[in-house]
Amino acid sequence: MKRRQFLKDATLLTNAVALSGITQNVPPEPCPVTLLPMPDYSRDLSREIAAVMSGDGLQLKGKKVLLKPNFVEAHAERPINTHIAVIASAAHACLRLGAAEVIVGEASGHRRDPWFSALNPSLRGILDKKVKCVDLNHGDAVSVPNAGRRSGLPVFYVAKPVAGADILISMPKMKTHHWMAVTLCLKNLFGVLPGVYYGWPKNLLHFRGIDNSILDLARTVKVHYNIIDGVVGMEGDGPIMGKAKPVGALVLSPFPLAADATAARLMGFDPQRIPYLFQAGRFLPGLKQQDVVIRGEKPARFAAQFDCPEEFRGMRGGPFF
Amino acid sequence: MTLGLTPGYNDDVMERSASETAALVERLLSFSSPEGGLPYYRGNSSSAEPTFLAALALFASGAPTERAKPLLSWVKTLQNLDGSVCVNPGHRGQGLWLTAQAAIVFHHYGLKENLKRALDFLLSLRSVTVANDPRLRQDNTLAGWPWVPGTFGWVEPTAWSLIALHLSGQAGRPRAVEGRKFLLDRRIPSGGWNYGNPSLDDKELLPFWDTTGLALAALRGQADIDRLRPSLDLVEKRQDKIESLCGLAWAVISLQAYGRDAGRLRTRLRNLMGSPAEEDLHVGNFALGLMALSQKRVFTA
Repeated sequence: MKRRQFLKDATLLTNAVALSGITQNVPPEPCPVTLLPMPDYSRDLSREIAAVMSGDGLQLKGKKVLLKPNFVEAHAERPINTHIAVIASAAHACLRLGAAEVIVGEASGHRRDPWFSALNPSLRGILDKKVKCVDLNHGDAVSVPNAGRRSGLPVFYVAKPVAGADILISMPKMKTHHWMAVTLCLKNLFGVLPGVYYGWPKNLLHFRGIDNSILDLARTVKVHYNIIDGVVGMEGDGPIMGKAKPVGALVLSPFPLAADATAARLMGFDPQRIPYLFQAGRFLPGLKQQDVVIRGEKPARFAAQFDCPEEFRGMRGGPFF
Repeated sequence: MTLGLTPGYNDDVMERSASETAALVERLLSFSSPEGGLPYYRGNSSSAEPTFLAALALFASGAPTERAKPLLSWVKTLQNLDGSVCVNPGHRGQGLWLTAQAAIVFHHYGLKENLKRALDFLLSLRSVTVANDPRLRQDNTLAGWPWVPGTFGWVEPTAWSLIALHLSGQAGRPRAVEGRKFLLDRRIPSGGWNYGNPSLDDKELLPFWDTTGLALAALRGQADIDRLRPSLDLVEKRQDKIESLCGLAWAVISLQAYGRDAGRLRTRLRNLMGSPAEEDLHVGNFALGLMALSQKRVFTA
């Protein structure tokens, strides 16, 4: 990379809160995680989500917000992606809280055609006209030094809209994963990296170790808020070939690991037995149950036992709630 | 000459078609930046792929070469010393899979020295191979082309590389022979291509319209038609399910390459190209659409 380009990228990053590098982000109190009931996708929960985000201290007035859902693959009969009703509720909640700009952006891991991802007409049709949709796979990227050391990648090429956002909200689907046991907020960060640089799938990240890449991204890309779509999750051979598993809840938290660990417990897994979540607990708060305070509905109402591939059955635990 | 049709009918259609094509070319070139490249979306910086595809669309639509000159000048600045081509001048080591697309541009515009260097790089590039896995019904020992050097081979970069080699008269090279085996091996048994594996644990993966169209274009004239027929039939039978500009463009390109009727798809594609909102207009896919609507072959000899 030329010096001029580096300086250009660095200038952009100075303005971006989203890529400040994560060190010891330990909160003074237990990490709040809210469970919001959403029995199906017919309800607009923007008011409730706005109330929770506001209660968690998220300041959006005048900010540029990027919502990062998971649109890894498109299949009409499988609950693979974050549901558009959840995305719409979250986007409209951000507008309620005074966000100056709300963007829905995704760099789909399998689908190159943006019609199957962030530019699908069904998503556009449900969103307020003030909300923009952007295809993060194709477009400008900035190089950001890798704040971790596990993957061996010196930098990440992060989609420019992510780098330019004041607030990044990770919005994954609650799913099992045939290589990682679960895929939630932290794994969802693969989708801030453009496919033009990393390919479809982002095979380079696999070669460097999926867990290593997740952990390095978790250190490099700051996520300000997290909303997990657990209304209908996926169990079994996730993240693509699994089966629907209704849970009926959204999981919300400012802390990605707290959200992931809580979601994992709701799915019947012990997050401390899932290697990448355990490792993330060394630099992110919220892994242990005592580090989390659950608000909203009682978790026992949503506790489930997600079916999973044989090799991950030893990572199950509980009952937690 | 009207070839027995109603006098004047063909002339009228040709005239309308020519003016539509000219309008589409102007719309495409409205995305050009002062340095000559085109971005993926309005407001972005110039990037390799949309510029390559725009240059190919200009070639396909018969635009004067003069119009492509600014694009070609910018394209040439993307080539590295080793012949590879990068995603943009600021990120020299990234997006090297784009070398194959660049080679196709160099071929059609007669940029022989650039083409030779690009082909040398492509011929030196192999995807990583591993032992076969019982979960995957595919031959992992075959080398295709990767998105990123040092990783596995995938349908799309392999198909682009094969097109570049075939057009350049390199179809007999051992790398091309192995690449075709790779691509044929990754076919979904009932038809089409996913982005990589055809199946997992005996479950077939979904065919994608873009990779299916691209793979069919890459294999035209280079593989037994019986092995490709299920994929062509799939595109033909399920054409009404294809909704995106990218999918329609690849469906038209692939069906036309094999002499199949793509009339309905062409109509839908033309209508769609007149309508996408400016902020959603993916310049690369728009250029593909223009190629599909043009009569000149770009991806097959």
